[in-house]
Amino acid sequence: MSTVALGWVGILILAAAWQILAILLHKSVFPTFVAAIAAAYHIVTGPALRTDILPSVERTAVGFLISSLLGVGVGMLVGHYRAVQQWTATVIDFLRSLPTPLLVPVAIVVFGLNGKMVVATIISAAIWPVLINTANGTAEIEPTMMDTANVFGLRGRKLFLKVILPAASPQIFAGLRIALSVSLAIMVVAEILGGSSGIGYYISNAQQSFDIVGSYGGVIVLGLLGWVFDTLFLAFERRLLSWQRGTVGGFIDG
Amino acid sequence: MTGPIGSRSSSSSRTGSRSTGGLDNPAARIMFRRVGGVVCALLIWELFSETGVINKSALPTPQATAVAFVHNLSGLGRGALGTLDAWGLGLLAASVFGVAIGVVVGRSRVADSLTETLVRMMRPLPSLALIPIAILIAGLGLKMTAGLVSFAAFWPIFINTRVGVRQIDNLILETGRMLGMGRLELIRKVVIPAALPMIATGVQVAISLALVVTVSVELVGGTGGLGQFVLVAQQGGATATMYAGIILGGMLGWALSMGYSRIVDHWIPWRSRGQVTTS
Repeated sequence: MSTVALGWVGILILAAAWQILAILLHKSVFPTFVAAIAAAYHIVTGPALRTDILPSVERTAVGFLISSLLGVGVGMLVGHYRAVQQWTATVIDFLRSLPTPLLVPVAIVVFGLNGKMVVATIISAAIWPVLINTANGTAEIEPTMMDTANVFGLRGRKLFLKVILPAASPQIFAGLRIALSVSLAIMVVAEILGGSSGIGYYISNAQQSFDIVGSYGGVIVLGLLGWVFDTLFLAFERRLLSWQRGTVGGFIDG
Repeated sequence: MTGPIGSRSSSSSRTGSRSTGGLDNPAARIMFRRVGGVVCALLIWELFSETGVINKSALPTPQATAVAFVHNLSGLGRGALGTLDAWGLGLLAASVFGVAIGVVVGRSRVADSLTETLVRMMRPLPSLALIPIAILIAGLGLKMTAGLVSFAAFWPIFINTRVGVRQIDNLILETGRMLGMGRLELIRKVVIPAALPMIATGVQVAISLALVVTVSVELVGGTGGLGQFVLVAQQGGATATMYAGIILGGMLGWALSMGYSRIVDHWIPWRSRGQVTTS
């Protein structure tokens, strides 16, 4: 049997185990697999699609995009100028080690209970993987390449956009991919803690109103969302970085 | 989760090869700049707070935060200990299961294929979404927190162990077998040490992820720890105290990841070598 087929067999085994265990335990907090899938289907086809899922997708996307732009921009500066790196090192190290959910109460105080709060929290978490990876990627660019750019008189914005950005892009994309999953995770926490809509709100609201199957359904929808995001991202990356395949392999491995 | 790329601190990877800036910076100058950066950050904070760009009730001054920090030392200490408790328990369980299952799956081609799709599906699922369900199943308490933390921290450790085990050179394994090693001995003396650099990286990711999950559960469920401390402070309108809790959270996260990389550098000296071969 092929690897892919075996992979799906693995999923089937897990689903079957879940179903049988749920039937045997017969507990209300542990619905069957089929019931959970049905609940997920209900969410995707019901009014929750408009009121909760789409707002969550929008917040995640906006938070992710802003984090990406800020992270890549600041990251290139930090990676390129040694002085900037040294001045910011401690603060960046501190801020990125901070467990971001702690900032949700702050965001609630500043923005109130709404989508802006969620986006702000996402940015405070998702910017770091992008920034760090961009800085590392920039700092590790082949010196020859930078010298060549120098000889050709590339300076300022041109240098950053035409040389540094493409050369650091493999690392940047690795950071962006992490930032995407971070965005999704933080979106959920922020919505659970202080949302008035969104998928996180839906999950926690379902739990509090004892619609237990509903909250399992919400988690499944969220998992699918994460999967779709990740798949789309990888497709986008392959497209954008296709020029790299084979051309720069040598210099990445150094 | 703030920096799964945390294996490399933003400062350590900059080992020269840049033509801008002075080439032989004396250590003192670097130190000055790093401390200077913190001072600047504090000044900017002060400026924002004093001028009221951000509402003062939302952003107290650094001084007020420092005062609140000192006043709440015992509460903060208890909070940090509570967080560390759940964090440590969860991480320990995740490490044991992650490495054990990772080794088994990485060594077996069938198990590897069976779990491949599962892992691909589980990885993007934020464990944080499971908080409400975890509360339903296990109630509010240390057991639930640690359980959810271990679930979240399991994945990076498991995935890295699996990859690390899969990448071991067959020659090394054959050599081990030739030397008459049994199955368990081979795993203990060859497989795990060879995969250790990858495992260490997985644990590094898990450390910060576990902290994020611990704090989140505490915030949502009010189950003690720093998360609850911050939440209570916010609900009581004690903004400066809330910031003191956040600052301590940051210091905790920093100390944990810094301490861990020191330990790894010391105990797994072959780590850098391992990373070169795996890249």
